[in-house]
Amino acid sequence: MHTYRFQWAMKIHPLRANRCFISECIHITLGMASFGWKRKVGERVSKAAVQQFEASAEKPGEEGVDKEFEVDWLHAIKRRREVLLEDCAAKSKRLKEEGAVLAQEGRHWEAIKRWDEAIQLTPDNPLLYEMKSQVLTILQEVFPAVQAAETAVKLRPLWWEGWQTLGRAQLSLGEVDLAVRSFQVAVHLWPSERHLWSEDLAWARKLQRQRRAALDQSRQEEEAQREVTNAPELQQDYDFESDEVVAACAAIAERQKRFEELKRKAVIVDTEGHAREVPLEEGSGIASSSSQDHLVKARGP
Amino acid sequence: MTTQYSILFKQEHAHDDAIWTAAWGRSERDGLETIVTGSLDDMVKVWKWSDEKLELQWTLEGHQLGVVSVDVSPNGAIAASSSLDAHIRLWDLESGKQIKSMDAGPVDAWTVAFSPDSKYIATGSHLGKVNIFGVESGKKEYSLDTRGKFILSIAYSPDGKYLASGAIDGIINIFDIATGKLLHTLEGHAMPIRSLTFSPDSQLLVTASDDGYIKIYDVQHANLAGTLSGHASWVLNVAFSPDNTHFVSSSSDKSVKVWDASSRACVNTFFDHQDQVWSVKYNSKGSKIVSVGDDRAIHIYDCPQ
Repeated sequence: MHTYRFQWAMKIHPLRANRCFISECIHITLGMASFGWKRKVGERVSKAAVQQFEASAEKPGEEGVDKEFEVDWLHAIKRRREVLLEDCAAKSKRLKEEGAVLAQEGRHWEAIKRWDEAIQLTPDNPLLYEMKSQVLTILQEVFPAVQAAETAVKLRPLWWEGWQTLGRAQLSLGEVDLAVRSFQVAVHLWPSERHLWSEDLAWARKLQRQRRAALDQSRQEEEAQREVTNAPELQQDYDFESDEVVAACAAIAERQKRFEELKRKAVIVDTEGHAREVPLEEGSGIASSSSQDHLVKARGP
Repeated sequence: MTTQYSILFKQEHAHDDAIWTAAWGRSERDGLETIVTGSLDDMVKVWKWSDEKLELQWTLEGHQLGVVSVDVSPNGAIAASSSLDAHIRLWDLESGKQIKSMDAGPVDAWTVAFSPDSKYIATGSHLGKVNIFGVESGKKEYSLDTRGKFILSIAYSPDGKYLASGAIDGIINIFDIATGKLLHTLEGHAMPIRSLTFSPDSQLLVTASDDGYIKIYDVQHANLAGTLSGHASWVLNVAFSPDNTHFVSSSSDKSVKVWDASSRACVNTFFDHQDQVWSVKYNSKGSKIVSVGDDRAIHIYDCPQ
C-alpha cells in the first residue's frame, strides 16, 4: 500500500495537471501514447488511491476493496485509451470538414490551418495532405503543394486522385515531365476517368511539346547570336576603299536581322500539338493559361 | 528439378521506371525462351533466358506514355505491345524490328492478347468493345460488344473457343469466338478486374480484382467454383501453369502467390519485390515464373515439378 502511494504521489505534479486535451492527442500521435495518457489517468486515479488509502487506513478491516480498485484502474486505462484515439479521429474529421467548407468559401489559408491541425491528430490520413495540396496549388504555394501531394501518394499509392493532384501541383511548379509521369500513373490506375486523359494528360503533354519547341528555339537564338558576335566577316582585314567592306557589312546586318527576328517569335503549340512560330506582339508574352479549375474537391471519409 | 519454390534470379533496374507488364514466350523454331517487359519509361525490352540468367536482347523504342501490356504470340515469333497513347505495335522477336504500328484510336487499347493460332490480337476499349486486329493485315478485323464499361483485361481460351473480358466495374463477359455471341455475363467482383486467365484445358477461368479476391469459374456453366483470399491489397495479375495444376497471382501488397488449382490453397508466397507487382507469368513448361513490378526489377522463380 505504501509503495502505491509513493508512486501516485510522484505522478501528481502541478505542471502536468494543466495539460490540455490536444497535447495529449499529440502525444499519442507521436507514438508516446502510453506515456501521455497513462500519466493523465494516473493523476485521476491517484487521487482516488490516496483517498482510498486514507479511508482504508482509518478502517483497517476493509482489505478487499483495494483489490477491486486495482482491477478498475486497468479497465479505466484501457477505456481511456480507446476513447482518446476515437476522439483524435473524430476531431480530425471535424477539422477536415471545417477546412473543406472554408476552402469552398475561398478562405484558403484558414482551411490549411484546420487541415494542419487535423494532420497533427491523424498524420497518416492521405486525404488531408491531398486536399491541402489542392489549396496550396491555388495559392501558388507550389513547392509545399508538391510536398503535400507527394506525402499523399506515399501514404496511398493506389489512389489515382492523389496522383492527379500531385501532377497538377508539379505542373504549377513547372515540372512538366514529372507531371506527365504522375498523370500516367493516375491513368494506369484508373483508365476510365475521362478527365485524366482529356484534360490533365493532354494539357501536360501539350506543355511538354511547347517546352521542347521553346528549347529548340532558344538554341537557334543562341547560335544566331554567336554568329553575330563572331561573324567570319569581322575576322579578316579589309581594304576600306573596296566593295568588300560593303558586302561584309551587309552580311553582318543580315545576321543581326535574323537574330532579331528569332527573338521576336514565340513558340505556340496548337491543339493538334504541332509547334509553330508566331510573331510576338508587344506585351503579350506566351499565353500562360492554366486549365485548372479552382474548385477544391472535398475528399470522402 | 527442384522440390521447392525458390527465387532463382533477380534483374534489378531492368527499366528506368516502373515495369507494368511482362510476357514469357518460347520460339517454336529453335526452342529459345524470351521474356518481354514493358515499362512506364516507354520501352519494350526483350530478354533472352538461357543458362539460368537474363540477357538483354533488344530495347524497342517507339511507344509513348508508358507500355501497358505486352504479349508473345504462341508460336514465339512476334511480340505485341500497347501503350497509353493507344498504339499497338508488333515486333519481330528475332530481328528486333517493328513489323506494324496500329493506332487503335483514343483510349482504345489496353491489354493485348494473342489468339492461340497467333493470327489475331484482341484488345479491350473504353466503350466496352473488344477489338480484334489481324496480325497479317494490321487492321481491325471485327469487334465484340460487351455493352459494358472500360475493359481492363482480355484472355483467349487455349482451345480457341472462348474469349473472356474483365471490366473496370467488375463484370466478366465470355464470348463464343466462332459465332461472336456473348455467352455469359458474370457479376463476380464489385471492383476492377485487372487480369483473367483460362486454365490450359479451357475448363476454368480465373479472375483477379481490386477487391483482393481471386475467383474461379467453370467456363461452360458459368458457375462460381471458388473464391480465394490471401492478398492484402489489389490482385493485379493471374496466370495459369501449363500443367493445369497451379496458378500464380501478383498483388500490390508486393507479394507473388502460387495456388493449387484443385485444393485452392496458397502453396507458396514470394515476398521478394519492394513494391507493387504488376505482372506475373509462367514459362511454357511451367517450371519457372517471372514477375515484374514498380521496383523496376524482374524476378525469376523456380517451381517444383
